[in-house]
Amino acid sequence: MPGYIVKYVRFVEALNYRIGRFAMYLLFALMGVLLYSTFSKVFMTPALWTLEMAQFFMVAYFFLGGPYSIQMGSAVRMDLLYADWRPTTKAVVDAVTVLFMLFYLGNLLWGGIESLTYSFQVGERSASPWRPYLWPIKTVMCIALVLMILQGSAEFFKDIARVRGREI
Amino acid sequence: MSYEMIALMMFASMMLMLLTGQRVFAAIGFVAVASAMMLWGTGGSVLGFSAAMKLMKWYPLLTLPMFVFMGYILSESRIADDLYRMFHVWMGPVRGGLAIGTIGLMVLISAMNGLSVAGMAIGATIALPELLKRGYDKRMITGVIQAGSSLGILIPPSVVLVLYAMIARQPVGQLWLAGLFPGLLVAGMFIVYIYVRCRINPELGPVLAKEERNIPMREKLALLRAGLLPLGIFAVMMVPFVNGWTSLVESSAVGALAAVAAAAAKGRLSWLVFETSTRMTLAISCMFMWIILAALCFGAVFDGLGAVKSIEGFFIGDLGLGPWEILILMQLSYLILGTFLDDTAMLVIVAPLYVPLVGSLGFDLVWYGVLYTITCQIAYLTPPFGYNLFLMRAMSPPEIGIRDIYISIIPFVAVMILALITVMAFPQIALWLPNYVYGK
Repeated sequence: MPGYIVKYVRFVEALNYRIGRFAMYLLFALMGVLLYSTFSKVFMTPALWTLEMAQFFMVAYFFLGGPYSIQMGSAVRMDLLYADWRPTTKAVVDAVTVLFMLFYLGNLLWGGIESLTYSFQVGERSASPWRPYLWPIKTVMCIALVLMILQGSAEFFKDIARVRGREI
Repeated sequence: MSYEMIALMMFASMMLMLLTGQRVFAAIGFVAVASAMMLWGTGGSVLGFSAAMKLMKWYPLLTLPMFVFMGYILSESRIADDLYRMFHVWMGPVRGGLAIGTIGLMVLISAMNGLSVAGMAIGATIALPELLKRGYDKRMITGVIQAGSSLGILIPPSVVLVLYAMIARQPVGQLWLAGLFPGLLVAGMFIVYIYVRCRINPELGPVLAKEERNIPMREKLALLRAGLLPLGIFAVMMVPFVNGWTSLVESSAVGALAAVAAAAAKGRLSWLVFETSTRMTLAISCMFMWIILAALCFGAVFDGLGAVKSIEGFFIGDLGLGPWEILILMQLSYLILGTFLDDTAMLVIVAPLYVPLVGSLGFDLVWYGVLYTITCQIAYLTPPFGYNLFLMRAMSPPEIGIRDIYISIIPFVAVMILALITVMAFPQIALWLPNYVYGK
């Protein structure tokens, strides 16, 4: 593979690894919010922001963690046929089907940007007592989708490299 | 093309995409958004992202990472070792006793956790090597661990029932309580099966060697203290929840904290345990959440096609069946779909189609939730696609081959189908407890 592609793949993987390691710890932010919510319910007046804050953390958690989870290979595959193929066959098929994944992610991003633009234009807020603005979480989601697409493209190049017999 | 044909085409292309071995969420998501764009042009382009916003509002799903984390803390820190030891010593002298004890262990773990991952990890790492060493039949115990860990989604707390509750708009508390007795019933039937088989064929589960059985009564009684841990964690989660002091999600966070505290109190919370649990929680949560996200989009397209009406028309109009026949046919079709397609995705796609029909036929939706969960359990076990199968393959020692794993589940699936029929015939097994507690 040309050197700049190898560099690109390494850069994307390193970036997503760092962000994924950060997202991994959002679990404790989520837990903290929920525990505070319990605490406030039992000993004080119940806080009204905790429910939605927890939802935002959850979405950020699995969106930002998505690329890292792909790196870890934790996205399940149906391996009825796949498991018996030779590594090169796997790489050839993957290089084609990963394009379908990119199509799906691209569609998500398209919808995300449309939805984000709308949020900015009308200053969209959630319909709840707390009424938080929705653009921050949508921004996070769009950034995460871009990272997902970058990871998907890196997977594509890695598959091509595998077909040519030289792993990145 | 008629809408029914489009729906069938969507299922067929999903099957084809899954067979290529691409990541499940990508296969389902691609079919969903591609069909949406073909059907409705640019109007369908935002469907994928709207599913993400809808998923965000599914507040009870926050329990998922909490339960996954809790399960990994329990298995990685090996605080369940004592629990296994308790069953080992008390059940060892019976024929097949260690296998029966493993079912008991799985019931206790299920009571602490809402998924089958924890039970599988603990069963495969702690119980499996011990049982193999004691000369138990490998096919039987592989089945015991897979089937036993599937109880995690039936015995409260249960994430599958949470998902069902979101879709069917039923109270989670009642559903969880409804799962308790059927869960114990399934466990009891497993135990009877193991006991009878080991009576007929003692080599399958030999009794413990004499020197291993020779343990003073004092020590044996002291081991019972291990049972306090699951009891304590179960109580910490369920008592405030059932009394309405905390919400469902808050309880799961409290449960996760309790598991961490228990591991720390026993001095087993090393950095390695902590890091592995956190990382694996991200991996498993991402896997499930991205599949649910894609499946929601798929379901939204189905909704747009009016699939609920066509299914109702098909069952009642075209086939002219009675309520019970429809119910049985629905379970059968779900079993078949769950065998070949992704189980979690099927849960999200099929439930919204069936639940309104079940309601309009006059069946109790809490009871149906339990039936649905048992069917899901079976789907999780049956090849070629099942989460418990994946986990078992990843975790089992090398002497257990893929053939063993596939063959081992057959008798247990038969037992579970029997249990499904029993709960169908006697709804009170599921409904008595929630009616008693909530005084319906």
